[in-house]
Amino acid sequence: MKKHKKNRNVAIIGIGQTSLSSHKEDQNQVEMVQEAVINALQDAHLTIDDIDCIVHGNMELFEMQFAPDLWHSLGTGAYGKDEYRITTGGTTGMTLVCAADNLVASGLYDTVLAIGLEKLQEGNTTGGITNMADPLWFRNLQTGALTGTTAAEMISEFGEERAKRAAMKYRIMMDKHAVLNPRAHRRFGLEYEQAEDLMANSPQLVGELRLIHMCSQSDGACAMIFTSEKKAGKGTGKPPVWIRDHIQGHREETIPNLFGAVKPEMTHHYCARKLYERNGITDPVAYFDVFEMYDPSAWWAMDWLREFFLLKGDEHIKMLERGDFDLDGKIPINPSGGVIASNPIGATAMLRPAEAALQIRGDAGPHQIKKEVRHALASGFGGTFWTALMILEKDLNW
Amino acid sequence: MAGKKVAICAVAQHKNEPDLWHKRFQGMLLDVLEDLQAQTGFDFNEDTGVNTIVSCSDDFFDARTISNNGVTDVLGGHYRAEEKMAQEGLNAVGYALAVILSGHSDLVLVMGHCKESQSESRNMISNLGFDPFYGRSVGLDYMNAAALQARAYMTKAGITDEHLARIVVRARQWAARNPYANAREILEEGRVMASPMVCDPIRQLHVYPVSDGAVGMLLASEERAKEFTDKPVWITGFANCMDSYFLGDRDLTGNVALKKAAERAYRKAGIKNPRKAIDVVEVMDAYAYQQPLWMEGLGFCEEGQGGRFIEEGGPGKYKVNLSGGMLAGNPVIISGLYRAAEAALQLRGEAGDRQAPDVKSAVAHSTTGAAGQFHSVLILEA
Amino acid sequence: MTEYFGATVADIFNTMPERFKPEEAKDVDIVIGYEATGEGGGKWTATIKHGTLKVEKVEELKGCKTTIHADAEIFVGVTLGKITAIDALTSQKLRVVGDARLLMTLLPKIFVPFTVTPRKKAVSARAILATVESRFRPEKAEGVTMNIGYDLTGENGGQWTLMIKDGRCTVREGFAEDLAVKLIMDADVYAGMMLGTIDGASAFTSGQVRIEGDMMAAAATTKFFHKYVDPNAAEAEELICLRVTNSIDQRFASGPVMGRWFAGLKEKKFMANKCPECGRTQIPPREICAICRVRVHEFVELGPKGTVTNFDIVYFASPDPLTGAVRDTPYTPIYVVLDGASEQDAFAFELKKEDIDRIKVGAKVRPVWADKPTGSFRDVLYFELDR
Repeated sequence: MKKHKKNRNVAIIGIGQTSLSSHKEDQNQVEMVQEAVINALQDAHLTIDDIDCIVHGNMELFEMQFAPDLWHSLGTGAYGKDEYRITTGGTTGMTLVCAADNLVASGLYDTVLAIGLEKLQEGNTTGGITNMADPLWFRNLQTGALTGTTAAEMISEFGEERAKRAAMKYRIMMDKHAVLNPRAHRRFGLEYEQAEDLMANSPQLVGELRLIHMCSQSDGACAMIFTSEKKAGKGTGKPPVWIRDHIQGHREETIPNLFGAVKPEMTHHYCARKLYERNGITDPVAYFDVFEMYDPSAWWAMDWLREFFLLKGDEHIKMLERGDFDLDGKIPINPSGGVIASNPIGATAMLRPAEAALQIRGDAGPHQIKKEVRHALASGFGGTFWTALMILEKDLNW
Repeated sequence: MAGKKVAICAVAQHKNEPDLWHKRFQGMLLDVLEDLQAQTGFDFNEDTGVNTIVSCSDDFFDARTISNNGVTDVLGGHYRAEEKMAQEGLNAVGYALAVILSGHSDLVLVMGHCKESQSESRNMISNLGFDPFYGRSVGLDYMNAAALQARAYMTKAGITDEHLARIVVRARQWAARNPYANAREILEEGRVMASPMVCDPIRQLHVYPVSDGAVGMLLASEERAKEFTDKPVWITGFANCMDSYFLGDRDLTGNVALKKAAERAYRKAGIKNPRKAIDVVEVMDAYAYQQPLWMEGLGFCEEGQGGRFIEEGGPGKYKVNLSGGMLAGNPVIISGLYRAAEAALQLRGEAGDRQAPDVKSAVAHSTTGAAGQFHSVLILEA
Repeated sequence: MTEYFGATVADIFNTMPERFKPEEAKDVDIVIGYEATGEGGGKWTATIKHGTLKVEKVEELKGCKTTIHADAEIFVGVTLGKITAIDALTSQKLRVVGDARLLMTLLPKIFVPFTVTPRKKAVSARAILATVESRFRPEKAEGVTMNIGYDLTGENGGQWTLMIKDGRCTVREGFAEDLAVKLIMDADVYAGMMLGTIDGASAFTSGQVRIEGDMMAAAATTKFFHKYVDPNAAEAEELICLRVTNSIDQRFASGPVMGRWFAGLKEKKFMANKCPECGRTQIPPREICAICRVRVHEFVELGPKGTVTNFDIVYFASPDPLTGAVRDTPYTPIYVVLDGASEQDAFAFELKKEDIDRIKVGAKVRPVWADKPTGSFRDVLYFELDR
């Protein structure tokens, strides 16, 4: 795919998160939004007056608030400013970052604030997800967002023992990262010795997808500030992180087509190969220093590592077994603990580039990768198996 | 905006209907898509065709989480980028403009849909737009919020019941010439003034009828526009603006947000005097009183002079809503797209019986939220 | 435990995790031993490694880089600042073996100072269980007959059964026969969950709570009881909860293409439509082929039988958001490529319950229709193995 010339470069200069919890009863939606926005402004050493435009996103049927950005404007600071609201299901957070990138790159706005949020505790999450299905047909099947088909496929391909071990090792690794991340929602303090016990005893949800493998449901918000190359580095506190490129791939409405006799190319794979190709990246494992991947479950995470890195056979499992994905490994995955640890849906896909950017900046916190991080990859997932994928860089090196 | 420009290469409107029971969204949008493709010949080739789509729909009106996931197929979104404006449709055009100017894509398809007839009541939906603790319990919705604004504005600007009737009558006269309009029945003032009060001072015939519809547009960079049309409509300015949220915090008659949005859009388009520079105006008038109110905000009428504006034939003079406007019936989520589509047709000389002569520039407007909390302004030139 | 200055030695160590500041301990790698002698004393170790903390009560101080020794009273006093640390060190009332500077530099940096909170009377699991009967909500348990077992381990533990029958709940010590479900956890975890200081979902996921039997039954029980309120709780802010169900009726249109699908079901037929370009058979049919992006006109009948390509055995069903009803589990959605269908276009439907144990990928299945199909989702009852 031909790559178009970007009109001007865009930097991330501010990152703010709220704490994440299963029930933030001490704040209403507006207050929660404001907390993230204030944190981002402080991080960027800016005030709201420096912001030209705000981009907002969440999945409003979860909070049952129509046109929520209008109410949330009290917290986003959008009064008197331009504002856009863009939502794409689970990928929303990253779509907001892509949109902010487009808005600043276009020259129409210099400094854009993006905010993704969710307050799942205020609504009915299951109801919200079920409503995604076509009302006249698929809604009746009510399988929700849970499926064990990937586990079954992996067990069939790699053998039960090895596949289950891999998924569990990944899960425990994510918890170890989450324990280090002061902002993560769920941190259990799991040890690798518990793997056997969890593999056998964690309650089954669907097939081999067990409770321990699944992501959390969190309340929280994430805000990021973007600006042009010219304005970046001028009086802003932290070093800028550059958005090199991004791609989004949606898929047709019908999900069962993923489980037919022939499996189509996953959008993860499609987006990865398009993005790498047009950026001249031939060996993504070697190129990237960190990958913040949107991992709704440990099984999907393992499967998608093969897709995102364009690997074949059991290479991804070997890499896990070798420790390549550890914090001090060849290509650390989710130093933040990922989606399994924290999942405020409208913000989740924004936390991925946010955490990746923190890693590049070197101030992520106790979960900071020790080696220098120059090239980061971040992914988002949602909808009917849609993917959003983004490359962040420490320097303008392309 | 100096330098690069972005063009609307084609627009396609699905006729607005009170109840499109016999089609679902996918069918409506496919009709629009085929119309656009017939006009321009574009395809979805990964490299040379449309690989970026900006859609517009609403989860509440569709009663569907991730409302765009149901229409991915027909938007051409399979293995392509698609972003949904969860906001009034005119902003999809503004965002698509940014996508092309950013260099990320040189061809963008914009497609919006909505059926107000699907749900039991659009007022029940807009009630959920108020804060859960107070606004909702008090029973506010966009209709009665508009009534509050109407009362304040009519008092300030000297607007009478007769003026409102005149606005509605004129809207129907123009709608009768618009094959895409919903309410095309010719009315006379007496009938409008006799129509029952739904929410004082708003009468039934002052309210835009419940409508179902869909709109599509193809936008292209300056370099590529000629591949698809020999009548490009150039986007010379876009801006939007947010007012404060609680009705009590706002000046309901002062057009705080609209004035800012208009000022920013005009500045980008290099327009100093819209009354002279603009040939046709398409405003989103959900209720009759909003037509003169938004004309004040857009700078075609002095503040507080709406009554006089109507009295002296302002809407005719400035060629306002030759489509019939929203008063003729559009679904609220995409009425701005219909405004832009109509403005584009005027600029291309394709507006049929409602065509104005020598149209070189147009402004399309949209608004969202209670009593117009949020406004968007698009400036187009031939 | 013996109190000094309003706190016990154990309080200091029990509160260490919540007073820990991981971001200040990023580069720390140390094991510190503590020994408090005399009444109310004991031995503890604090292991701090790269921003994580583990506190354990031990029999012997082993492997510690530095150990701190004092009489229990001195210990508490110094920690609370009632006794000046430097004085205690000089007088040897407080002894440090190893690096004494730790007391002044590291510890204040990585821990929020310990303070005495107004003493709350501990509530035991037993006391909470004694209130179960009075908190029962019979209107929520209409028609329910169930025995729920609680196996609480540790200090203050025991075994109880909650017996729900005929609109009443009786609590008995010991386990009844035919328990629908047994919940196993430490008594303190139970108390913490009831008091709200421990998050139930996390406790369950991390294995602190184990469930034997019907997990769905366990989940259902929470709605049978009013929430437990700690009688000793300080004037906590009351959380007012407005529960509202927003429901707006909808008229969904099928359009002519999906309409043909429903018309087909009425005739016990699976009507797919076929893309004129790639030939794929779309089921249920749709207006356009997403891959070729062209309108699809031709309808084809598929099946009725098909081959299973994948399936999911669902053990956990989410409650219906409006009614709260939960589906019978396990249930199994299957993915079937019907006879005549293109290979990637699978159809999803539910498998007959009785066939769940025998289902395999590659199995042949057939639909079982309702007697009088009306053109709706309910026309197909389920698929069953074709034998």
